[in-house]
Amino acid sequence: MERLKKDFTTITFALIVVALAINIVVGTIVFQTKIPFVYLDQIGTVLVGLVAGPWAGLLTGVLTNLLWGLLGNPGYVPYAPIAGVIGLMAGWFGSMGWYKSWWKWLLGGLITGLVAALLSAPITAYLYGGVTGAGTDLLTGMFRATGSSIMEAALGQGLITDLIDKTVSFFVVWLIIKALPTTLLSRFPRSENVLEASDLDLDSVLDQ
Amino acid sequence: MTANTLYIDQDRGFQRLNPLTKLVISLFLIILALVLPCMWAGYIVFLLAVVPLALWGGILRPLWSALWKIVLPFAISMFVIQGLFWTGGTPVVALGPFSLKAEGLIFATRITGRLLAIMGSFLLVSLGTAPDDLMISLEQRGVPNSITYIILSTIQLVPGLQARSEKIRDAQRARGLETEGNIIQRTRSMLPLVEPLVLGSIIDVDERAIALEARGFSREGDKTFYRTVEDRRWEQTLRWVLAVSALFLILGRILWPFIGRFLGGG
Repeated sequence: MERLKKDFTTITFALIVVALAINIVVGTIVFQTKIPFVYLDQIGTVLVGLVAGPWAGLLTGVLTNLLWGLLGNPGYVPYAPIAGVIGLMAGWFGSMGWYKSWWKWLLGGLITGLVAALLSAPITAYLYGGVTGAGTDLLTGMFRATGSSIMEAALGQGLITDLIDKTVSFFVVWLIIKALPTTLLSRFPRSENVLEASDLDLDSVLDQ
Repeated sequence: MTANTLYIDQDRGFQRLNPLTKLVISLFLIILALVLPCMWAGYIVFLLAVVPLALWGGILRPLWSALWKIVLPFAISMFVIQGLFWTGGTPVVALGPFSLKAEGLIFATRITGRLLAIMGSFLLVSLGTAPDDLMISLEQRGVPNSITYIILSTIQLVPGLQARSEKIRDAQRARGLETEGNIIQRTRSMLPLVEPLVLGSIIDVDERAIALEARGFSREGDKTFYRTVEDRRWEQTLRWVLAVSALFLILGRILWPFIGRFLGGG
């Protein structure tokens, strides 16, 4: 409870607003560009999880998909819990110090993709008849043609897409954090996830 | 401020309903479309509930033009994939080496109807509810004002960010970035577009936080409302009735096999 209060500072709320807008705008650009296997619609969610903790990440993910509904695409609303889990996991991996080694961070992305695929397959199968209405349905068709059930085909398609998308998203967040100034990063509640102790040490900063 | 949401401002009965009432009606219709066992359940809910409500709100035309764009891609994929590749299905139409299976077509018809009802119900809320009214009524029901702040300011921020993304794209194009062409070219153009956009907007976060603090955002204690949203007695009753009926529908759906066996045995 104490940790929760520390995570949800005013700067966290300001960050969540920007992260939601990034998710929606970048997600729309990627969708319109018709790039296969990536959505990039949860970059902000991963970022918030990493610098403001798992619960802030969870909130960002859930609100992203609910807001899509208000802004014209209700198709994403049923996946809101999964978006929340993505933020939650990014937060956990951040707290475990995985961001500080690039391969662990990308592994975190891969694991997040795996979990996202497992959780979204039942929704895709039950609510959307196993299809996504996008180009990746070619994969679904392939799986169905080779005898997979609707759930298996949705899972197969989801695994390929989500593993790629979440790893790429984690990589993009890694690039973004690397490019942000320490002065800004140190203001976030979980800055220790992304900054080395030496970055926060005033003497060493002054020495530079 | 609501320019980029779907809401269309009109003074009609449906729009004057309390936002929570619209939310509950929409959720009830979604549950109804999901639990009714009939293959045509979705179409029935859509035609007998979503369409009349949309007519009441004068939003049938925008609802339909948004709805078919959402549902059509799913419907096409479903009819093709589940129609052609239904494992062990009964062939009804032969198409060269392939054939459409009856079971797959029935499945696709059922899910398409459901999607019409579900997405239509969502659209009823977003087309017929002013986002600020929705947030005020949620706040009055105990949702923290930090959450409603997040949603309303994001709605305001999105158009600005979209405009910025177009500027970045133009600037990168002027520097020779290929943003069109084949898949590889389009994929390679993503990072030079996304990175400046994200970095530029995150740099502003600090200033936003200071501006919020200056307006007493983190102040404890009760807050007063500048506006209130009407919540009539009969609407409150209606919401309760719908919530209880939804509960019974779900229970009925779960217990249906047992009831069927009991009736069959008796």
